[in-house]
Amino acid sequence: MKMLLMQCRVEMLRIIRNPYYVFWSLLMPIVFYFIFTKIVNTGIDNVEAWQAHYLMSMTTFSVMGSAIMTVGIRMVQEQSLGWAVYMRITPLPGSIYFISKMFGQTVMHAFSVIVIFIAGFLINGVHMSIGQWIGSGLWILVASIPFLALGTLFGTMKRVDTASGVSNIAYMLMAVLGGMWMPIDSFPSVLQTIGKWLPSYNYGAGVWSIAAGNAPDLKPILILAGYLFLFMVLSMYIRKKQEAV
Amino acid sequence: MENIAELQHVSKIFSGKKAVDDVSFVIPSGSVTAVLGPNGAGKTTVLSMMLGLREPSLGSVRIFGQSPKHAQVKRRIGAMLQEVSVIDGLKVHEVMSLIRSYYPSPIKLSEMVHLAGFKPEELNKRADKLSGGQKRRLGFALALAGNPDLLFFDEPTVGLDAPARKAFWQQADELADRGKTILFSTHYLQEAEDTADRILLFNKGKIAADGTPDEIVSKLTSRSVSFIADMTGEDSYAADEMVHRMRSVPGVRDCMEQEGRWVVTADNTDTVLAAIFRYNIPARDIRTGQGRLDDAFEIMVSADHDKEAVS
Repeated sequence: MKMLLMQCRVEMLRIIRNPYYVFWSLLMPIVFYFIFTKIVNTGIDNVEAWQAHYLMSMTTFSVMGSAIMTVGIRMVQEQSLGWAVYMRITPLPGSIYFISKMFGQTVMHAFSVIVIFIAGFLINGVHMSIGQWIGSGLWILVASIPFLALGTLFGTMKRVDTASGVSNIAYMLMAVLGGMWMPIDSFPSVLQTIGKWLPSYNYGAGVWSIAAGNAPDLKPILILAGYLFLFMVLSMYIRKKQEAV
Repeated sequence: MENIAELQHVSKIFSGKKAVDDVSFVIPSGSVTAVLGPNGAGKTTVLSMMLGLREPSLGSVRIFGQSPKHAQVKRRIGAMLQEVSVIDGLKVHEVMSLIRSYYPSPIKLSEMVHLAGFKPEELNKRADKLSGGQKRRLGFALALAGNPDLLFFDEPTVGLDAPARKAFWQQADELADRGKTILFSTHYLQEAEDTADRILLFNKGKIAADGTPDEIVSKLTSRSVSFIADMTGEDSYAADEMVHRMRSVPGVRDCMEQEGRWVVTADNTDTVLAAIFRYNIPARDIRTGQGRLDDAFEIMVSADHDKEAVS
């Protein structure tokens, strides 16, 4: 238990000290939010609903990013620097190492959610019930698990450059095609069809429902569960193969 | 005496190539063993199998009578790996506290700081911002964090300057005096000779020799007697005849002229001296010599290259 607490604390310290985290996960989404709700006139009728919707888009954008990028790149770094090998000769069980990584990451996500929600409240006075705020936050944290799994999948790559390149592209493509930057309805129909099957769209869809006052549909939950299963199996399969040396 | 480590017929095959080939040895408690050999001899592979990082393809590795992967084993070992590995985003003292927390009875943090020789202001530096030498010192302190009984150092002084190297071996000597069992790999022959009480000489994945530094020397190097022979005087000796006679002495390997001196290489120098007097060879300025481990090492490695060239 002492090991687990210590390890979680360390993982959180490492994330918060990372300037990329502060920039990509906190600053960028808030700036985007400000631009697309304050400066650019989107011409949408229901302004209040749009402001709440876009706040959720930006929060999922932030959390999805740090789940994919921080986890994946950090794992490759630890592998390539030999730190991961060093950990294997210490008595720290691999499971505790992994759990505290995921737990530390989730605590940081909760922090991002709170910061961005507060920013939305301060910038636009976004109005939702307590239940909606908490429900949205919980959805964003729980439904980020498939992206953590995707992060560990990118974490099996050999080189930091490859991992950060691939995860950046995947992140940006998923964010745009999944309707996190602008609503998917404005896309051509082919892109809409593709977008609706992406994990990012379904991640957003659940929380957009909550922000609109509805419960999330079953469909995004099932699709996300499917992606979680896929990413976990792939990541474990690759890891097993690499360890067989 | 308890056996700390036991390897029995261990082989490691990487994609069809034998990196380690049927190696067996036992490490007794309190010993300081050098695993010596040229690059690619299988030193690091042997160490990584002993650390549980790699699985032997054949044979068994036991540390403290158990599998190296066992948590109880890991609590009693410490290691400095070849790659300088430092976690990012943490300060030096945070890394030390973190690693200490993994072990049931760690040494004091202040002791770790002392071992690494860090100044107070260096403790607040980010570990990944340290210089190469400082990272090594941190790695050394981390290896000792759990107060281990068995220590592994894989090429511990690569990239260190002479004073840092000397300081490292002084600390290793102190650890050995405190009864720690130490296993280190090196390709610096001098280090193996000076620090270890036993050398496992590796070449091409096999143990080429196993013994004290002295034994390795006498096993691998031939001794020699050299002298100046007066071939022109009254009772002069024909060179051919002398060479013929010397070569027929048991244990003599060669007799030849080098830069004006005759050099007789043999297993035993006493028999050569006896022969010189028996045959009344007009020898003067007689010297006996013994090859150093350095030379032995060179001979062994180059002999191997020759074999390769033939086959």
